[in-house]
This record gives sequence, structure tokens and C-alpha cells, in this order.
Amino acid sequence: MIVLERLRKTFGPLVAVDDLDFAIEAGTVFGFLGRNGAGKTTTIRMMMGLLEPTSGTVRLGGHDIATAPDAAKRVTGYLPDRPHLYDKLTGLEYLTFVGGLFDLRRREAKRRALALLDDMRLATQGGELVETFSHGMKQRLALAGAMMHRPRILVLDEPMVGLDPEGARELKARIAGLAADGVTIFLSTHSLAVAEEVCGRIGIIDRGRLVALGSLDDLRARARTAAGAESDGRTLEDVFLDILNAEAPA
Amino acid sequence: MTVAALLRPRGLAARNVARRHPRRIAVLTLAVAALWIACFAISIRMIRYFHTIGDFGPALTDRLLILIFGVFLGILVLSATIAALQTFYLASDVALLLAAPVGFRRLHHARFIETLVASSWMVVIFGLPVFLAYGWVYGARPLYYAGLVAVLGSFVVIPTALGVLAATALVLVFPARGARDTLAVSVGFLLAAAITMGRMLQPERLAHESGLMGFAGFLAGFGSRGSPYWPTTWAAETLVPLLGARDGEPGFNLALLTSTAAMLIAVSATVVERVYLKAWSKAQVGRVRAGETERPLGRWLAWLAAPLPRLARLLVVKDLTVFIRDASQWSQLLLLGAVVAIYVFNFRALPIDGDGALAQGMRDMATVLNLGLGAFVTIAVAVRFVFPMVSIEGRSWWILRTAPVSLQRIWRTKFWMGFAPLSVFAVCLVVLTNHMLSVPAVPAAIIAALLVALVAAIVAMGLAFGAVHPKLDTGNAAQIATGFGAMIYMAAALGLTFVVVALAAWPFARLLHAGRYALPLSATEASAVVACVTLAVAAIVVATVVARRHAIGALARLG
Repeated sequence: MIVLERLRKTFGPLVAVDDLDFAIEAGTVFGFLGRNGAGKTTTIRMMMGLLEPTSGTVRLGGHDIATAPDAAKRVTGYLPDRPHLYDKLTGLEYLTFVGGLFDLRRREAKRRALALLDDMRLATQGGELVETFSHGMKQRLALAGAMMHRPRILVLDEPMVGLDPEGARELKARIAGLAADGVTIFLSTHSLAVAEEVCGRIGIIDRGRLVALGSLDDLRARARTAAGAESDGRTLEDVFLDILNAEAPA
Repeated sequence: MTVAALLRPRGLAARNVARRHPRRIAVLTLAVAALWIACFAISIRMIRYFHTIGDFGPALTDRLLILIFGVFLGILVLSATIAALQTFYLASDVALLLAAPVGFRRLHHARFIETLVASSWMVVIFGLPVFLAYGWVYGARPLYYAGLVAVLGSFVVIPTALGVLAATALVLVFPARGARDTLAVSVGFLLAAAITMGRMLQPERLAHESGLMGFAGFLAGFGSRGSPYWPTTWAAETLVPLLGARDGEPGFNLALLTSTAAMLIAVSATVVERVYLKAWSKAQVGRVRAGETERPLGRWLAWLAAPLPRLARLLVVKDLTVFIRDASQWSQLLLLGAVVAIYVFNFRALPIDGDGALAQGMRDMATVLNLGLGAFVTIAVAVRFVFPMVSIEGRSWWILRTAPVSLQRIWRTKFWMGFAPLSVFAVCLVVLTNHMLSVPAVPAAIIAALLVALVAAIVAMGLAFGAVHPKLDTGNAAQIATGFGAMIYMAAALGLTFVVVALAAWPFARLLHAGRYALPLSATEASAVVACVTLAVAAIVVATVVARRHAIGALARLG
């Protein structure tokens, strides 16, 4: 469903993303982990057509984002790490506008918008201007926008930032529910607990390179081998740090 | 934390901008210097004239100074109130400072200086050549210049303090955003009215001795000396004796000015210290719901835009909704009204009545220049409405970019959103003024057609320069339109207009002349006319195509 082939991005001498090459099956929740500045957001921006890769390709639902961007975007929903929305529109107007961008008829867009506002616990604020929303409310509204066209792929960049515990729990349940319905989720997060809880597959990126890829068990096994550790009950945090330390230059 | 430390981020930010864009700073400096020199030259001419009137001169000098200080005071109080609303109550970094161990009095002093600089720099820069011209004409001694620094330094503090107090009072009574919007619209209205009235007074008459005499008469009727309770009078009464124009008590008046300024700073600091937290808290409460009157309007917009293609409909409704809810943009419309009024008035004021050869020649020249002037007004409008189209999407650009909509379609939609209203606007202007000039139908139609093509290029260039020089962090169209990118856009669009008018001038003049005297064009002349018009059209097409390519490239780089 998501295929990255030798994806690379350089900014002058800086290699931000270095030959990423992996595929994600339909219905998978893929956790994309890495330190700050590791290249997560750059990768996502290339996946969404917001940044031109230096080389390599991204295919979303079988569509190349470079050669068939409209088709690729039509099957994908995106939540950026900092969702700037139109401050002078109301929540309902924003969602209806986004629905229109994805070819939904006005009536259908409004119907879905109202349902999503209700789902996101924003029903009572739907008529309020976005500029009055808190960060968490904007995050939920942006997520609703990403789901307006019922995408088969959801790319979520740090979706838990700013959410209250209730919102975070709801989002985790929603992610699991969507994956069960066959939606592929690409989840970039700093929260290893969240990744451990919801991700079936995990990729770890460090200085632009993919340094680990597999299920949590695969990564545990690999970390055990690399670090010579014995315990089986290691958390993703332990595994994450072991792998990054093993990859660190001497 | 000291006041200097609180101001340091502004200084560092300005320094970093200057370091990163040295050419931009150089161009801006040259432009300001050119305007400054022009102000200086005009001021010298006017003051020198008053100086030559004899005994009557010093009285006029007095009154002119009081008038200048009076105008400055009015502008500064308004602009300081708006600046204070922003720096004290709406700036995003206030929360950071409130969380730090910074006393309200220090916070006041730092923000007061910021407000003073933000509201006064333009008046001081463009007022300075007037005061220097006084010194130049009167051959003033160094004491005058020292007194000038002291007077200006004290004078600008007074409206700043009044502005801070007014802003604080407004915030305590109204929501801060509402107060700022209302003030912005009021300022726009006053500015538009002032510009229009200024034009109606026909300042070009000052180029003649008779006009200057009329202005002198106006000043003479401007009451006797100013009120002794006004800072404008104290400022003038300090400077006039230092010029050597007459005797007076400059020290006493300067003391009045400085002591009043000091007292007002103390009052402002005390008031702000006492009520700041309450006022700032109130300022955080913005308008929550879209107004009741706006909802039916939203439905009307959707209905009006229904015949448009889907993407155009979506963007038109979205942009107009944002426009209606953002009062800071309304002042743009008021200024636009002033520009149109002045444009039409200019043609009414032209001395082109009669059938004489001179009047006919003037009419022909005005007809040809009308193409350029129509384009010029369109550029002035485009810099306010088309140039900001990309920037106004701001940080929300990702929403369009991640939708299944190609950049070409986004460009095309934005282009038509600018081109359709602007071409109608430009054609209406030119048709109306050509009618006033009694231009025959055929040349008038050709001029209108050429102007429509030129407007297409102006809009395409506006989008290109707007995309290449975006200001994504401000949603205020007025601010976007005053940046460096807007300036070079205007220069480039004016350059194209100049080329087109230069190429079209001779063919139109020849066609008008041939039509009036029923003289057929020779084959060579006809070929030359066709060649010139073709070259003008070619220049427009090349500019449009190149601008489109640059715009789409820049949009792609926006991410």
C-alpha cells in the first residue's frame, strides 16, 4: 500500500534522508520512530508531495506521488505535525471546504463533517472560528479533515502532540479500528509507548537512514543480539535506545 | 531582566534580517533616500517662498510648523494606539514575558519603546527633511539642530503615551481584536479621505506662484498662534526662535514639552502597571462564533459562486469568507475607492476643453497615457489583492498542497480570481475616462483590449512575485503588500507597462490623428502600427508565460 524506493533528500551537503527502501502492507499500523532531526518529517513531506525528493520514488496505493500526484493524494489523508488551519473559518466550514477539495458534493461533505465533528468531540464548537480553538482541538479538527474523504492510507505526523489523555486514548482506539477496516496507517511519533501499543510494524530512522525495520518482537530480538542482553521483557524504549546506540558512530 | 534585554530580541531579529538580505536593505535604503530627497527639495521650495514674503513670512512659518506638528500629532496618536494594541496586548511573545520574572513596569518600558519606534519612525523620517529644510532656508545655527532633536524626541513620546493609554482603555472595554479592527478600518477611512481631499485641493497648483500665494492665504487664515496648552504650539515655539525668525522663549517651551512627555510616561507606566494583567486577560478573549449576520452571507457567497468550476468555487467562497471576517483587510477597499476617485478626478482636472490644436493634442496624449495610467492603478490594486494571494494561504498551504489538486489548477484558479475582477475594474476605469476625453469608439476599444491583456500579465506577475517572496507568517494583506517582494513586483509591473505604452504610443497617436482628419495611413505606416502593437502584445504574452512558470515553480518550492 505504501512503497518507498531508494528515497533520498539532500539539502546542500546535508543528507536528510538516505536511501529509504521499504514497503507497508494494507491494514498495517506502521510506527516511524527516530530522534529529533532524524528525517521523519522530511520523509513524510516527500511522501505527501510537499517536498521533492532528490532521488527515489514514493507510491501510495499503487500511485507514484511524483507522476500521479492527484491519484496518490486521493487515497491518502494527512495530518501534519503542526496543523495550521484557516483561522477565520469555522470548524464546520473548514471540513466542508476540505471535502470539496476531494470532490465530495456539498451536502455529502456537510453530512460527513457533522459526523466527524461529533466523533472528535467538537460538535458544540463546529460553528466557532478555528482561531479560538486550543491546540488539541485544532489537532482533532485537522485529523477530521484528513478523514473526510475516507482515505485508504493515513499519514499521521506526531498526532498525539497536544491531545489530552481522553483524546489520545480515543485516537489510539480509532487507529486500531481503522487498521482493522483495512486502512494503512503511517504513524510518526516520539511516544514509544504509543508505538508499542498500536503499531504492528516499526521502522527506526537515524540520521536519515533506516536502521531497523520489523515487528516489535523482531526489533527485540535484534537488540538482544546487538547488545548481548538477555531479558525478554524489554520495552520498546530499551530496544530503541539499544539500536540507536549500536548504530552510533564510534 | 533589564529593559535593554527585553528589547534585544527585536534588535537581533532586525540585524539578522539585514545580514541575510543585504541587497534588499540596499534597495529599500535607496528608495527611502529618493523619497527623502524629494521631500527635502519640495520643502525647501515652499519655505523659501514664505521666507521671501517679508514681514509676513515668520507668521506663516509659525503657522505652517504648528500645522505640520498638528498633523503629526493626529497621525501619531492613531498609529500609536494601533501599535500599542499589538505590542502590549496581541503580540504572541507577551505570554513568554509574563511567565518570566519581569515586572509590569519594565515590561511597560520595553513595549513603550517598541510602540514608539513602530508608530513614529515613518513620520520622523519623512518629517525630518521638512525641519532640515527650515534650517537650510533660514541658515540656522547648530543650536537649532540640537533643539530639533530634543523637540522631536519629546514630541513623539506624547502621542505614544496617549496611544498606550487609549489602547489599554479600549482593551478593558472591548475585545482587543475588535478594537484593533475598528481602528484599522477607521484609519483606512481617514487615510482614504485625506488622500482624496489632498488631491481635490490640486497640489499641482503649488508649482505656480499663484498657487503658493493661495496656500499662504490659507495659512494666514489658520487662526492666530496655537493654543498655549497644546504640545504642537510648544514644539513650534521652541523651533521658530531657534531659527532666528523672531524672538521667543525656546527654553521654556522645550521644558513644557519634555516635562509633559516625562509626566505622560509616568502616568502610562503607572496605569499599565496597575491594570495590565486584567487588560491582557481580556485581550485574550477573541470573537468566538461567526456572527449571525455572516451565516446568511456565507450562503449567499456559495450561491453566487455556484456557476464557477469546483475548485474556483471552493477557493472564492473560502477567500471571501476570510476577507469578510478579517476587518483589517477592509481598509484596503477604502484606499481603493480613494485611488479610483483621484483617477477620475485627474481626468476632469485636465485642461483639455475646446477644439484648438493644443487641446486636441492634450486629449490624444491623455488617451495614450490613459493605457499606462489605467495599468498603473490596476497595479496599485493588484499589489493589495493579487500579490498577497499566495501569502494569505500562509501556513495553511499544506491543505491545498495535499489535496488532489495540481499546482497548475491552483495557479489557474488564483489567476482568474485576480484577473476577472481586475480586468472589469480596469476596463470600467478606462472606458469612463476615455468617454470623458471623447475618444472615438475604435481606438477606445483597442486600448481597452490591450489593457485587458496587460492586466493578465500584471495578475500573473503578482502571483509570481507573491509566490517567490511569500510572507507566510502574517495573515494581514496590508502588511504583505508593503514588503520587499511587493516593491519589486510594482517596479517590474511598471516596467512592463512602460514598455507597452512606449510601443503603443505612436500607433495610437497616429490612428487618432488619422481618424480625426480622415487621413488614410500609408502602407509603411500601417505596417509600423501593426508591428508596434504586435510587439506590445508579444511583451505582454512573454511576461505572462514567464510569470506563470516562475509562479508554479515557486509554489512547488513552498512545500
